[in-house]
Amino acid sequence: MKQSVLMSVVLGLSVMAAHAQDKLVMDGSTTVGPIAKAFAETYMRQNPGVNITVSESGSGNGAKALLNGTCDIANLSRHLKESEKKAMSEKGVKPVAHVVAFDALPVIVHPSNRVKGLTIDQIRDIYTGKITNWKEVGGGDQRIVVISRDTNSGTFETFKELVLGNDSKIVASAEYTGSNGGVRQRVQMTKGSIGYAGLGFVDRSVKALDVNGVAPSAESVVAKQYPISRELFMFTNGEPVSDSLAAKLLSMSRTEKGREIIEEIGYVPVPEK
Amino acid sequence: MRLKLRKLMDHALTAGGYLAIGGMALFLLWVLVPVFTKGFGAYVFRGTVEHRRMMLGEFNRGDLARLRAELAEVWRAREPVYRAVAAFERELDAMPAARRKALRSAFREVREGVAVLLGPEPGVPLPALTRRLYGQTRWEQAREKAADILFEETWEYSDAGSRRVLVPRAEQFEGTALAPVFDSVERDLAAMMRPRLTVYPRFLTDRSIDAHFFGGIGPEVLGTLYLSLGAMLVAVPLGIVAAVYFQEYAKEGPSVAFLRSCVNTLAGVPSVVFGLFGLAFFINTLRVSPGKSVLAGALTLALLVLPTVIRASEEAIAAVPRAFKEGAMALGAGRFRTVATVILPAALPGILTGIVISMGRAAGETAPIIFTAAVSVGQMVKPSEVLSQPTPALSWNLYNLCTEHEAVEELRHVQFGMAATLVLIVLALNLAAILLRARVARRLKG
Repeated sequence: MKQSVLMSVVLGLSVMAAHAQDKLVMDGSTTVGPIAKAFAETYMRQNPGVNITVSESGSGNGAKALLNGTCDIANLSRHLKESEKKAMSEKGVKPVAHVVAFDALPVIVHPSNRVKGLTIDQIRDIYTGKITNWKEVGGGDQRIVVISRDTNSGTFETFKELVLGNDSKIVASAEYTGSNGGVRQRVQMTKGSIGYAGLGFVDRSVKALDVNGVAPSAESVVAKQYPISRELFMFTNGEPVSDSLAAKLLSMSRTEKGREIIEEIGYVPVPEK
Repeated sequence: MRLKLRKLMDHALTAGGYLAIGGMALFLLWVLVPVFTKGFGAYVFRGTVEHRRMMLGEFNRGDLARLRAELAEVWRAREPVYRAVAAFERELDAMPAARRKALRSAFREVREGVAVLLGPEPGVPLPALTRRLYGQTRWEQAREKAADILFEETWEYSDAGSRRVLVPRAEQFEGTALAPVFDSVERDLAAMMRPRLTVYPRFLTDRSIDAHFFGGIGPEVLGTLYLSLGAMLVAVPLGIVAAVYFQEYAKEGPSVAFLRSCVNTLAGVPSVVFGLFGLAFFINTLRVSPGKSVLAGALTLALLVLPTVIRASEEAIAAVPRAFKEGAMALGAGRFRTVATVILPAALPGILTGIVISMGRAAGETAPIIFTAAVSVGQMVKPSEVLSQPTPALSWNLYNLCTEHEAVEELRHVQFGMAATLVLIVLALNLAAILLRARVARRLKG
């Protein structure tokens, strides 16, 4: 009797220990979110009993979660900042970057807008408030409603780096939105608006502009022609142990199935060497 | 004269009261009716054959033989579409370059539209994402997607303003092998999809499939229950003890007044501050769990509702007639015994009401759990995992699906389903409070 109780306790404990390997916590970017969610769902579909959770709280919070050890994989739509790297090395966290996909930032407008394309300089002038009406760039006589991502997001950082330049300031009347989906919805509902979001979020409800004459697409991203392109990352603390859940999930981005998923969501898989 | 004025004012007050109540009722109707009618659509809707195929494929529910027969029927309606697509592909290759270029991207859109409507084309490798393994599962969405095949949305620009124009694609492809596609889709859509009234009560308990494209909201419902029950488990004992202290033990003085005002201030703190505090204190400092967890979320929610529980319990205790206490004391009961056996039981109805109402509040709060417990994708959490595992929860996932999700428009029925379910849970809790209170009060009297 006693023995069987002991046995069941031991069994229970070993089950709990086994459980620990069946769990994975991902946190971070709303741009990488769809990839992370699809990877997680696909993996869990093939391996019942595994629980992978994905939160979409923004790249900045993803980096913080990795720093505080509250996630296994941090999804970032930008690279780590110097300040984040420093904080991590002070805490003994060793961030390892894994590029999971390429992305472009289409600049989107309401479909009623007749403007077909803008140059980087025009976009910068719009976001810094030098251009305030669509007629200045070939559109109708309409005030421009500037919509941006929040400053915690990697998408914002990328946009700032590649379009605005680091010392420009976004016009004070700009609206800040907390997610890619939110930007698309605002643009879709607001005539005269302009915004930007990851490739996976842009559908036919909004119009993606040509930038410097190049349309955002998988081809123009791979060919490095579209000027606002970037890499999407997943960060781990140290190289993940081979055969661990994290390693398996990360390697998905290189498998055929993973690349297909990335493509079907709308992003660009990392080209095979 | 004075009497007349008084009467008039009396009437004015009554009228004002009715107006306020009427306005409130109207507002409630205005909010709740769409939530419930549309939310109902997540449970009862016109499901297509693709819904039944999905149910069998993902949940292993349904009758395989019947589905096979149905698919054979459906195939008869769908086959002309696929035949036309294949024929046009050959035709396209033989076209002069200029015409080919003009039609190619439009053809790609039609083909994609067909795959979205009917599911993957037979003979091509299956797509990787579960959401693309099946066609449209709901009839109203199937009709929208059919319209996407039939019409191309374009905009006519003019100085007066732009106008949306729907151009039938059939015009563009007139005389080509693709033309039959548009006739078929327009004429035989019902035969292709076979919509049927479908009742899906397990929407409430099913897991979600591929980020809520299919399946139900089980993990969210379970998470909400865990979080609100967990919050009560912590807040109720603390709250009652604090209330007893304030009412029965503490001597009125500056320190008690200070403590009281602390509790009142706590009640006024915005909920997002509790969320951030929970992250900083429970997760990053105390490390109650390795990351976000049901436990951390429940603790944070407990702090949030604590003032409500304390105040409700205090009111209830204060309402217990003095004679009860004096009677118990006179019979020789000590203070603890008086509180435990006389005062608390008498105050129970009031305390219970406070508890259940706070529980409703905990179930509906979003901000405190964003940083401490909620995730957008995750399995159902087992009871043994609540200490370490984060969970989806109705309030947060509703927000997530409405704003952050990559396919917000296609998941309206899930969003409304979640909203209606959450409102129903809170309403049920409030109803339970009323019933419980009545029952306990009756028992105490008898």
